[in-house]
Amino acid sequence: MMRQVSNKVGGLRNLIFIGVLLVLILILLSDIYLVDQILEPLEYFYLFFAAVAIFYGIYPLYANRRLTKYYWQRIKKHRLSVIGLAFITFLIVVALIGPIFTQDPTKVNFAEKNVPPVGFTVQQFVYDLQAEEFVVQEIPGTWQHPLGTDDKGRDMLAMLVSGARVSLQVGLLAVLIAVFIGTIMGVVSAYFGGVADMVLMRFTDIMMTFPFFLLLVFIIFIFGPSLVFIILVIGLTSWTGTARLVRSEALSLRTREFIMASKSLGASDTRIVFRHLIPNVISVVIVIATLSIPGVIVAEAALSFIGLGDPTVTSWGVVLNAGQRSLDTAWWVAVEPGIILFLTVLAFNFLGDGIRDAFDPRSQL
Amino acid sequence: MKQGGLRGYIIRRLIYAALITLGVVTVTFFLLRVGPSSPADKYLANMSARTQDPSQVIAAIEARYGLDEPIYEQYIDYVVNLARGDWGWSFSTSMPVMKLIQRHWIYSFQLILLSMLFSASLGILIGIYSAIKQYTKVDYLATFFSFIGISIPNFWLGIMLILLFSGTGLGWFKVYYDTGLPLFSLANLKALVLPVITLGTGMMAGYTRYARSAILDNLRKDFVRTARAKGLPERVVIGKHVFRNAILPIITIIMFDLSGVVFGGAYLTEIIFGIPGLGRISFNAIFANDYPVVVTITLIGALVALLTNLVTDIVYTRLDPRIRYD
Amino acid sequence: MKVFTIFLALLIVFAVGCTAEAPNQVKSIFIEGTSGGDAETLNWILAADATSLSYAGYTLDSLATYDNDWNVVLRHLDKPVEVSEDSLTYTITIRDDLWWTGGIKVTAEDYVYTLENLMFSDWLNYPYKTDWQEVVEGETVFIEAEVTDETTFIIKRQTIAPEFIDNAIYSLTPYPKHIAIKYEGDVDAFTQAEEFNNLTYTGNLGPYRFKEWVRNDKYVVERNPDFYLGQDTGAPYFEEFITKLLGTPTAVLLALEAGDIHYTGIEPEQVAKFMQMEGIKVYTVPTRGYDLILYNQRNNGWEGLRIKEVRQALSMSISKQVVIDSIHIGFADPAFSFIPNASPWYTDEGVPTYGYGSLYDKETAKQMLYQAGYGIENPDGTLAIQGKDGEPITLTLVTSTGSNISENIAFLVKQELAELDIEVDIKLVPWTTLLRQYVMNKVPGSDQEPRYNNGPDAVSEDPWDMVVMVFLTHPIAPSGSQVFYTTDGGLNYWGYSNPRVDELFINVRSEEALDREVRKGMYAEISQLIAEDQPALFLTFPRGNHGFQANVEGIDVGMRLGWNYHEWYFTEP
Repeated sequence: MMRQVSNKVGGLRNLIFIGVLLVLILILLSDIYLVDQILEPLEYFYLFFAAVAIFYGIYPLYANRRLTKYYWQRIKKHRLSVIGLAFITFLIVVALIGPIFTQDPTKVNFAEKNVPPVGFTVQQFVYDLQAEEFVVQEIPGTWQHPLGTDDKGRDMLAMLVSGARVSLQVGLLAVLIAVFIGTIMGVVSAYFGGVADMVLMRFTDIMMTFPFFLLLVFIIFIFGPSLVFIILVIGLTSWTGTARLVRSEALSLRTREFIMASKSLGASDTRIVFRHLIPNVISVVIVIATLSIPGVIVAEAALSFIGLGDPTVTSWGVVLNAGQRSLDTAWWVAVEPGIILFLTVLAFNFLGDGIRDAFDPRSQL
Repeated sequence: MKQGGLRGYIIRRLIYAALITLGVVTVTFFLLRVGPSSPADKYLANMSARTQDPSQVIAAIEARYGLDEPIYEQYIDYVVNLARGDWGWSFSTSMPVMKLIQRHWIYSFQLILLSMLFSASLGILIGIYSAIKQYTKVDYLATFFSFIGISIPNFWLGIMLILLFSGTGLGWFKVYYDTGLPLFSLANLKALVLPVITLGTGMMAGYTRYARSAILDNLRKDFVRTARAKGLPERVVIGKHVFRNAILPIITIIMFDLSGVVFGGAYLTEIIFGIPGLGRISFNAIFANDYPVVVTITLIGALVALLTNLVTDIVYTRLDPRIRYD
Repeated sequence: MKVFTIFLALLIVFAVGCTAEAPNQVKSIFIEGTSGGDAETLNWILAADATSLSYAGYTLDSLATYDNDWNVVLRHLDKPVEVSEDSLTYTITIRDDLWWTGGIKVTAEDYVYTLENLMFSDWLNYPYKTDWQEVVEGETVFIEAEVTDETTFIIKRQTIAPEFIDNAIYSLTPYPKHIAIKYEGDVDAFTQAEEFNNLTYTGNLGPYRFKEWVRNDKYVVERNPDFYLGQDTGAPYFEEFITKLLGTPTAVLLALEAGDIHYTGIEPEQVAKFMQMEGIKVYTVPTRGYDLILYNQRNNGWEGLRIKEVRQALSMSISKQVVIDSIHIGFADPAFSFIPNASPWYTDEGVPTYGYGSLYDKETAKQMLYQAGYGIENPDGTLAIQGKDGEPITLTLVTSTGSNISENIAFLVKQELAELDIEVDIKLVPWTTLLRQYVMNKVPGSDQEPRYNNGPDAVSEDPWDMVVMVFLTHPIAPSGSQVFYTTDGGLNYWGYSNPRVDELFINVRSEEALDREVRKGMYAEISQLIAEDQPALFLTFPRGNHGFQANVEGIDVGMRLGWNYHEWYFTEP
């Protein structure tokens, strides 16, 4: 019976995926109607897309080990992208288990405000109104706060680690949403052609003519800056590039023999789309995804910079924005997140470039 | 057949552009009005120091700006006025929207134009050089630097540049942009150096990569081998033949970037350097719920995007006789 | 290709090397820098934001102003306002030498027209019209204004208001009747009127004339050679006064340091650096704003907040000294009540100083909470604070984004109260959300329109316990604060009520209060009562820091720095 069902749905893998999906939906429903709050809305997104990534991204890589090895060899040749990958892995590890080892990033302590990083000493001034002069204090950095503290006494290291989690979430989730939508749009449009193509492409055109950042600021200003919302909006407004590229890739695939063969053998449309087209555009999609992540992370930081970030989460952008006001008195509050933001973006760019070269059959490495 | 087809094509595209613009305007208009905030909010924020009845205040403000009529009536009024050339009154800056845009568009335009020139020319040059010397140290170095350029968030770069080069840093530039400078003066150009570098560095990396891969693609083609076999100097091979073939995709990328840059990166640069361009105007309008300005600027952005696409497509067909437009 | 590169490089070198000075290097241009928002309109009667009013104010003086000692300095007034025996009639005489652009004389007609036809009108909805209203037999009516001769008009009240002159009369500025009459009744035409939006009518009424307003960039006014106060002295001494809007606070301070601007406000953290600079002078002045934390005594706040001892206990647990030192960097005076100590009505006698000195005492606070029923005694004798249901107490503290100081205060409160085992949940929301969800209130279930004070049973949409705010007190006329502290006060949105305070605020505006000693006693009692009751945790009166280039002279330093700005001048740099 299982075999019959699994064949209908297109394989055991899809069956398990649908199973996982049902479990998630069950939890979601009981969350809304029965118990209080099992998971945050953000975590639902996370789990859903983790499931998609595992079943349709990681598992195929595992199943086709030879192919994976081939690509890995090619990527390895690009030294810069390997460095990027290493940094990103490090970041992911830090984001996942870092918070266990650091202090509470939300714990304030005004007695320890603006402590510099270890090895530095700053002067802090407090004005005495009666004496009409400043009382100067020398504040050295300590190992208790290796990266210093901000103007409320919160530990910088803890905030940066927490920020890693937020930035990665924003980056990965928003990009996953964008890529998800874009891929479906592009493939459907390319495969079915005709009216479907025209309608979808015109819709894509309209979306493309809206200036991206303006739209972002627009919507977030109107509906309020919460992290979930920011992720959603970034995802829903940046899928157009993916759609176009996927469409052109799929268009060229459509006329290839193996598709025509499938069709003549009587395969249904859904089958062709899901089993043949999508897996073959995945390589393009992965490249686009990796290269979009840095843009999204920077967009979130930019939003915080103009004051539309989510003030209740500690993201690098929020810390950076708070810090740029006191660049000369507490430079580390702005410089530290600035550096780490820069390195993260750089790493993703390196990796993306390496992946693109690796997947491009025409380039010789 | 070619001429008639071209004219018909242009007309079709223009109609299509007009329709899309209308769609954009409609979506923007309704989005702005559907949220919980209203233009009266700014009033409300200041009013809290006085004891006037907030609901009365909101009602009065909305009546003053015609916001209390049913939304469909407002929409139709607005569109009809647009067609007649009346772009509305910006209540957050007390001037006609058209005048507001007329006064400020030039600041954004000069910034973006100069940045594109800067980043495109430098980017393409580096890309070509990099392609020719593929896999040498120069290539890696160029790649590395262009990546750094694209990875620094441009608002961060702007602040760093100001700290280093203006005011109390090296003192070469003024801390803020002076709008009193005559547009075509050398002083104006000088004042734009830092903003252009800020905005251009981010765009440059993309151009470098595209130029590099475009050139690389062509370097392997047969006609290059032929030209070399003919004994032509390398300079001519690259400069004349390769370049001409590579230029097309590069121009496409530049054109696509234009509309995205206008309101995205340019806005942050405008804020940091104090340049009162359309970016700053549009964002301040958003924060003040000044919908006539927001809708008009979105409209302009859409038109710019659509028109540049059209121009690119036409140029494309002109330059490459193999492509037909349909 | 190479040629192009060389050309580009040359261009850049050229631009950088060419140190051509900007054309406006004439020394007497004064530039004030700010990173705040731009004004909305120069048509000031339509504006609610302070920036718009200050922009218009460069070209239009008002009837009178105050100097740093709060002495009245006459401007458009020819002589002090005459008050009748019964204190109900005010006679206002304006100068004889004021005229609108075009030589048309400014008369009492313009003033009365502005009051009756513009400020009190329905079609314009002037934001500050409540300053001109009084309550007569339960009804709110406007005062009456009447022209007596060309330069004199009278204002007739039906109720006594000793501080009416300070609150309303001195800040009165007219619109030109001969122009306004063209737009009367048509709010669109009035809003878009050229003359009002370009201030072309201002004649000799102010030290400067409108020159240029580039939105989001700068506001430029030029010297008015006809300035009515400048005929003998030659004031003002600047050719142009520019208000320059810079994008970020960092840029503003950099500009001051570099000498690209001449004046700006400086945040407390930056003051030390600027005070040490050779070419910059920093002036520290008291301000009339005070930060405070309101305790919600309405039905949707924690019940404990309705008990006076609980409020006192909470106030005793939060250190004002830390707020002064860590948040204001020492640039603040502690606040115990609502009157600033620069005011002649200030007193500290009998005013308890919760949260400061000996009254900053968490142990005593715990005792008080315990006695109010919010704690239990541990076996070892120490006290554990908890709610009446045995659960730990959680309070919601709301503050608006965009103010670093308010945010810091919120976090400090959280840190302090954590030592009492009280958890504080901080909500950071935009200002308008704060107003809509937490400040405006109505009786639940009714179909009232939400207002700032819909009576004692009204509650706000979302529950809250504390909110961080900044209030202003007029040092000369503090009775204006009755909107906050009386039961029916229009801005009493947190539900404080003390009948004796209500009574005193009424008395302060009555006949007996015309005697200054009596009034002082009344204010003293109000201050004491409010400090006792702790309806809010008064925190500090912050000081303002103003940074000027060292070559700017003529500045009178005090709370009202800038009152004589037309007398500022440059010495040689």
